[in-house]
Amino acid sequence: MDKNQMMERAEILVGAVDDLPTIPVVATQVIQMLDDHNVSVEEIADLMLTDQVMTARVMKLINSPIYRPANEITSLKRALVYLGLRHIRELALTTSVISAFDADSGAIELNSFWEHSFGVGMVSKIIAKKVGYEDLEKAYIAGIIHDLGEVFLSNYMREPFQEVLDRIKNHPIRLVDAEAELLGTTHCEIGLCIARKWNFPDVYCEVISFHHNPAEAQIDPVLCAIVNLSDLFCTVRELNYSGRQWISFNLGEEDAWNILKNESPALAKLDVERFCYELDDAIPDVKDLVSSIFNASEQVKS
Amino acid sequence: MAISDKDFEQLRDFIYNLCGMYFHTTKKYFLESRLTRRMEATGAKTCQDYYLLLKSPRGSEELKYLMDEITTNETYFFRNVPQLTALETKLLPEIVETKNKMGFRKLRIWSAASSSGEEAYTMAMILLEKRATLLKDWIIEIVGTDINETVIAQAKEGVYNAYSVRNIPDLYKRKYIREDNGKFILSPEVKKFVTFNKLNLYEDSKMIFMKSFDFIFCANVLIYFDTASKSKVVQHFYNNLQPYGYFFVGQSESLHGVNDKFKTVHFTGGFGYKK
Repeated sequence: MDKNQMMERAEILVGAVDDLPTIPVVATQVIQMLDDHNVSVEEIADLMLTDQVMTARVMKLINSPIYRPANEITSLKRALVYLGLRHIRELALTTSVISAFDADSGAIELNSFWEHSFGVGMVSKIIAKKVGYEDLEKAYIAGIIHDLGEVFLSNYMREPFQEVLDRIKNHPIRLVDAEAELLGTTHCEIGLCIARKWNFPDVYCEVISFHHNPAEAQIDPVLCAIVNLSDLFCTVRELNYSGRQWISFNLGEEDAWNILKNESPALAKLDVERFCYELDDAIPDVKDLVSSIFNASEQVKS
Repeated sequence: MAISDKDFEQLRDFIYNLCGMYFHTTKKYFLESRLTRRMEATGAKTCQDYYLLLKSPRGSEELKYLMDEITTNETYFFRNVPQLTALETKLLPEIVETKNKMGFRKLRIWSAASSSGEEAYTMAMILLEKRATLLKDWIIEIVGTDINETVIAQAKEGVYNAYSVRNIPDLYKRKYIREDNGKFILSPEVKKFVTFNKLNLYEDSKMIFMKSFDFIFCANVLIYFDTASKSKVVQHFYNNLQPYGYFFVGQSESLHGVNDKFKTVHFTGGFGYKK
């Protein structure tokens, strides 16, 4: 289906929702403040402390397996110093995206959504490192937010989206193809509409829009390819929206793999099997992280 | 005996590099218990001692014993579910379509280290279920081979214990398994699709006659071969597959560095190799 048509359809669907969540004002302010190179850790910390929910989530994230501090970090200022200012952008963005969509009333449970998202974030970071991509944090954030559109579909188009989920159950059909067929648009276009509304930087908008066809990306095809592969690996390794999606792929035939091999020829020698096994080992970390972000009452296990 | 994470990782890397079998962190307890037995048998006092033994010239011999500890009693029906799901959902329909176009309605499957037959019979049950639909009027040939004649005799007999059959889905169990005094007897309907023969995978003159398979399974055997022998055996498997065929190894095994002709195909819960 034509990308423009799907985009038009996505704009209509997103436009029809009056109570679309917004990301916290504080997050936007923090991200803007970070563009000013003279900003101090104190100023950022003071601003972030005005949002208790964000502060609490930042503290949970900083003490999670992703960052692994030697000792538990208990003050926000220390957390920011430990991370460095670059990482704060990442935390502000991810924690606020989490807050924007924390109502567990959609067709997919939030936990399995965030397990997939954080899984893709972590694996994107690993792949980014392997290909020598310059900004690992960017890869991590891109991974976390790539499926933003999925939450919208799950929450605001519950019934038609359930049909999509039923269609792919136990069939070798990719979610994105079933969406295009049944909804006339996909989570990529929907996600792009939302990301634009939230003033996300262009490079993230592009990942959201092109993470299923990285070869069409213009700004940063390598980043799109990293997220694309990471998404595929997570989907076949247990972080697949609680087993809703059954997919298979032939690595050599994936555009993303070829984009990344051009970027880093050493990748051709990657021990893919071992890489997969190591991912399996990382899965409990991802699950721990997600359950630590959401408190026990928010966890709904299927 | 508990082993430290560092020792575990060292041992895991060593085993992986030597025989291509990967131990997941979640299987640490398993390695611990098997390791304890081997340490007692060899007189190694610490995990480090045992590691040094494995690395010594006597190591390749000891590794075989360790692998035996790790892989024995592991065979049962419906053992690698993600692999079977991939086969049912995607790979089998794909091959049936290819062969239908050629007017070649015959399916050949090889369980290359069939042991007492569970893997071969699992395939038979799955395909039998599709006799009315996907595989209507198809000829099905399943071959099981093993180097050990005792297990071949068991496979031909088709009588199993509770452990072997515990994973069989009810649908299949009701149709194809009859319980008699704690023994589980396989129905002749399933048995007739499978033939068992003795075969040494290392014997070139026999291997070249195993022709035209659509699927080949070889779980937990290649780990006993060194890299050169492994390459040779895998090359035979490659040659013995149809141009569109698939090859599967065990759940934690890898062909990395053994063969670069096969293409890795990933699916939910695992991967296989495509010719």
